[in-house]
Amino acid sequence: MRLLVIEDYRPLQQALTKGLREAGFAVDTTRDGQEGLWYAAGSEYDVIILDLMLPGMDGLEILKKIRSQGRKSHVLILTARDTVEDRVAGLDLGADDYLVKPFAFEELLARVRALVRRAYRRKNPQIKIKDLGIDLTTQRVWRGREEIQLTVREYALLEYLAMRAGQIVSRTDIWEHLYEFKSAASSNVVDVYVGYLRKKIEQPGKPPLIHTVRGRGYTLGAKP
Amino acid sequence: MKASLRTRLLIGVVSAVLLLLSLFSIGIYTAIRAALLGQFDVSLVSMAQVLAASLEVDANEIELELEVQQMPEFQDRERPTHYQVWRMDGTVVAKSPLLENSDLPRLEGSVIKPAFKEIKGKGGRVERVVGFSFLPRLSDSNDKPPETESLMLAVARDSTEILSQLSFLRWVLLVASASVTVLSVLVAFMVVHQGLRPLNAIAAEIAAIKEDELSTRVGAAAAPRELLPIKDRLNELLSRLEAAFKRERRFTADVAHELRTPIAGMRSMIEVTAARDRDKDEYEKVLSDCHVIVENMQTMVNDLLMLARLDAQQISFQTEQIRLGELMSSCWRPVCDKALQRQILFENQIGPEITCQSDPKYLSMIFSNLLGNAVEYADDTGQIWATACRMDDSVEVAVSNTGCHLTGEQVSQVFDRFWRGDSARSETGTHCGLGLALVQRLAKALGGQATAELQPGGVLTIRLKLPAKPCV
Repeated sequence: MRLLVIEDYRPLQQALTKGLREAGFAVDTTRDGQEGLWYAAGSEYDVIILDLMLPGMDGLEILKKIRSQGRKSHVLILTARDTVEDRVAGLDLGADDYLVKPFAFEELLARVRALVRRAYRRKNPQIKIKDLGIDLTTQRVWRGREEIQLTVREYALLEYLAMRAGQIVSRTDIWEHLYEFKSAASSNVVDVYVGYLRKKIEQPGKPPLIHTVRGRGYTLGAKP
Repeated sequence: MKASLRTRLLIGVVSAVLLLLSLFSIGIYTAIRAALLGQFDVSLVSMAQVLAASLEVDANEIELELEVQQMPEFQDRERPTHYQVWRMDGTVVAKSPLLENSDLPRLEGSVIKPAFKEIKGKGGRVERVVGFSFLPRLSDSNDKPPETESLMLAVARDSTEILSQLSFLRWVLLVASASVTVLSVLVAFMVVHQGLRPLNAIAAEIAAIKEDELSTRVGAAAAPRELLPIKDRLNELLSRLEAAFKRERRFTADVAHELRTPIAGMRSMIEVTAARDRDKDEYEKVLSDCHVIVENMQTMVNDLLMLARLDAQQISFQTEQIRLGELMSSCWRPVCDKALQRQILFENQIGPEITCQSDPKYLSMIFSNLLGNAVEYADDTGQIWATACRMDDSVEVAVSNTGCHLTGEQVSQVFDRFWRGDSARSETGTHCGLGLALVQRLAKALGGQATAELQPGGVLTIRLKLPAKPCV
């Protein structure tokens, strides 16, 4: 899942980026409002973490602009402003969540996960596809009763496919949601990672879960 | 508390009505009394003149004509009219038989100007007496006229009726005045109540304003002209209050923001770092970052405390003679390295002869803030210079730096607490916008003032005007 962090206080911005990346998210980040708007307008981020008092452009202004452009990214406002009016203003302008600084990083992670689930209309943090089980919270994966160990990237790929289980997911979609803007990787790496993932979750004697749809992408679950 | 407006108006109106009624009643009473008595007196005098005319001096006899004596006025026992005639020596010449033993008073009047008197008659009756001296008519039969001799005449008539009429009039006037007064209380009450209605309306509006709703204004749409100044001043006061409250709320929110942000940064750094095992370098980096944040927070808390103490005037100053050039140089040292890194040139142009009587500790705080600020906002390879000049009874110190990107309007805000040029924090994460606010308040506390000025070429100059001699 790909996130955008717009936060002008450097220590916080760095800690957030590091923590979120370690939690398996692809994170783009900026400390400037104008630049933040440019990022947000350019890609379909799953979640945008937005500070309000920003140089260049105010956070609420950014929110208003990306909503008027029709961007569906879920927005979590992360700010030191805690009055009811501030919260109401933020939520009424189209934010999906509001967290006041200082905050527990665990809580931020949980809220981001909740927003991601909401983005893919999943209420249940346990996903079950045939005998494949995924726990979105602990990021553990099982095939039948056997737990499968995945790398961070492999897990991210599986999670994205599972969120959109039953749909055909294009390489571009995968690339856009799993790789950061500044990442050097090209969309070809998607095929490589799908290969790695297949090796780990497909088991002999069981029906395959990841299907290739020629010229269109991949799908997880039933064969289309 | 003074009596209420309503009570005062009521008392005023009713007293005025009472006073006017009294004057009016007394006037009416006096006029009617004068008219009645005048009429009475005229008839009394004419009666007396008839009597006088009917007196005849015959030889040494003085006679009252019989028909006059027989007039019904002199016979009426119920309402008698008495007369009595004297010679000038006091011997009685003639007298109403009805007077019996009593006498009428002798009054010193003349025919042209008779004298009047009121006396108590028999049986508690009040009688009015007219008296005058006159020359009696001589008898026709007298051949040799005797020496004319003046006589004195007094005629008295019962005036009880007039007095009772007057007393009735007094009662009528009293009762009428009392009823009008009572009525006027009622009418005044209603009029005052009606008249004070706009005042009550405004009072109710004001009473309804709560401390958290200062944005409301007193509308009083139909307020009478007299209340408009009150309404306007009140609304002005409300505006000022609202602005002050807003400023304070803004300040509190800013303090919260400025303290929460670094705490959030540290907390996230610590939590993210603690989430897994890391190598030594990473821990060291996090610790040193946290240390910088803590130092910045400490500076900010100290600045805030200083601002609060300055606002509460809790700081006492110890003044001494200060060489401004030396102080400026010593304040430059802490920021010297930072300036060097960014190749900023500093020139201290303050001559050694310029001194000022002030508190060295707080003045150096001002200079440090000015220089720190200049280094923060000057462009790389820019310049900073400090100048000073002596005025009549003050010293002006100015610190300028190049590379100012602020607009004129922004420059007017540099002394606001927590205001900072837009990009400042993202560059360094340190300055929180209290430095210049502190400078301004310290300057004021030291008896001077600080002003900011934008000069062509992006040069920002902060001028500090200090009294040469202490006034604190």
